[in-house]
Amino acid sequence: MALAIEARDLRRTYRTRTGWLNPRRVEIDAVRGVDLDVRRGELFGLLGPNGAGKTTTIKMLNTLLIPSSGSARVCGFDVVSQTREVRRRIGYVFGGDRGLYDRLSALDNLRYFAELYGVPAARQKRRIGELLELVGLTGRERERVEGYSRGMRQRLHIARGLLHEPEVLFLDEPSIGVDPVAARELRNTVAGLAATGTTVLLTTHYMAEAEELCDRIAVIAGGEIQALGTADELKHHAEGRRVLEVQAFGVSDSQLAGIDVLPGVRESSVDIVGTAQVLTVQSDATVDVQADVLRLLDGVRLGRVTARQPTLEDAYVAIVGRSPVEVAA
Amino acid sequence: MRLLTVGGVIAYRALFNWTTPSMFVGTLLVGPLFQLLFFAFLGRQLGVASDSFYIVGNAVLAASVACVFGGTMAVSNERRYGTLGHVLLSPRPRTLVFLGRAVPYAGNGLLIAAFTLTVGSLVLGLRVPLGAIPGLAVTLAVGSLSCAFFGLTLGALGLRFRDVWLVSNVSISLLLLLTGVNVPADHLPAWMRVVGGGLPITHSAEAARRLVAGDGFGAAMPALGKEFAVGVAYAVVAAALLKVFEAESRRRASLDTL
Repeated sequence: MALAIEARDLRRTYRTRTGWLNPRRVEIDAVRGVDLDVRRGELFGLLGPNGAGKTTTIKMLNTLLIPSSGSARVCGFDVVSQTREVRRRIGYVFGGDRGLYDRLSALDNLRYFAELYGVPAARQKRRIGELLELVGLTGRERERVEGYSRGMRQRLHIARGLLHEPEVLFLDEPSIGVDPVAARELRNTVAGLAATGTTVLLTTHYMAEAEELCDRIAVIAGGEIQALGTADELKHHAEGRRVLEVQAFGVSDSQLAGIDVLPGVRESSVDIVGTAQVLTVQSDATVDVQADVLRLLDGVRLGRVTARQPTLEDAYVAIVGRSPVEVAA
Repeated sequence: MRLLTVGGVIAYRALFNWTTPSMFVGTLLVGPLFQLLFFAFLGRQLGVASDSFYIVGNAVLAASVACVFGGTMAVSNERRYGTLGHVLLSPRPRTLVFLGRAVPYAGNGLLIAAFTLTVGSLVLGLRVPLGAIPGLAVTLAVGSLSCAFFGLTLGALGLRFRDVWLVSNVSISLLLLLTGVNVPADHLPAWMRVVGGGLPITHSAEAARRLVAGDGFGAAMPALGKEFAVGVAYAVVAAALLKVFEAESRRRASLDTL
């Protein structure tokens, strides 16, 4: 089967030095032996917490970083020795406000990158028009980018990444900080790309996004792939568990610590949703921890209490929770 | 060729901070003109050299602010916008991408130098021989290009060192002191003359003075040739530094590329 991306035992160590009089060298293993096979036309997700090694992995695959050891090929070309061939075939999009020339219009940004990415002059105008249409910026293309919202910038990032019709597109947290409506539009655009045969490697923090879009997902933590499979396959990692969700207002750290050590509890976490906290407790399926949890939350104002089956997010928490070390990337 | 021309012009608009009319006129046209007048009147007062010496020298030097700071911005502002990674992901030759960026700044410098020479001559009553004008245009263009490549070299350093504007500021002062524009070269210590010989502007100022004195293009050619060589040398150094820093960034993650 033709592979768009193949990585074998990919490793990257960062070496830093601090201090002048008494310099101290620090080595950080950001990626520690990643193996990946991404098929042509596949939409592949790479999930992991901050500092898990996602961006470092992408930077090695897109030629911006040389691996400390191991090897990787994109469209059959080596990412270290055949950089020009690789760069002709890849696009790279990352989330955030930066990465565009603010003083230029969207049109001029795309014109410049069309030159940089070698789009023939005769095709530039048509291609740029198509992409502006695709990302919904037609009519706004002559405005300076400095006045764009984050969602518009993100769509422009995608248009830029597609200028030279790449075979492989790296999307590094493209929906970060984007409002829900814009995020949905982005997902539609990405799904459309995959439908046209473009291979997409997507990193994201959003489980719903990964579950909706990705053919297969790898979970990376501590610089290593911890699990790989379809969303349904990954959910098996949370098998044998049940999940209790409690809406609360004012759960303290000490109460959370107490819940963590209750018999049968595997993981617990608190997310802030609006003004409320949502306490999620994963426990062994054979143990009902609800009464113990509510007893520990005595005095805390509570809202809805729900027991449910594990989701992909629960599986992700289970996978990441058992990874040995988290390493800064 | 399009990358060099079209790409260079778009990059100029994207990365040069002084393209607004007020900044352009104030910083690049009016500022150098007052500098010319200052040194011309100071020279008159001290009796060091003629008006012609200061008018021609400062007109050639007028290109330096646009070219040195512009050349620096042309590379190091990529950091400001977070676009460096996308530029480095281009499969096109780096030499074309970056050296092409010097061309609009050189054009800018030529325009500023020509304006300063024209207005300075009119205000202070210098008569430039008509026959010298084509040669002067070539001289100002070569001086501006040389200066833009010098700025590009500083910009390349800006990829590696965050405080490159400090270097650019000091460089502008060095050009003022060491190029023989305001202090006649034979009044400078020998080592300063040597350093000045390796800087842009020095030789083009000498060539321009010969042309204005009516010596003819042939007499200006040796100095013009040296200015050209200095410019080419800085272009080579800039290209080499960009190549080295890019390779180093892939090995050591030394550039915050994205």
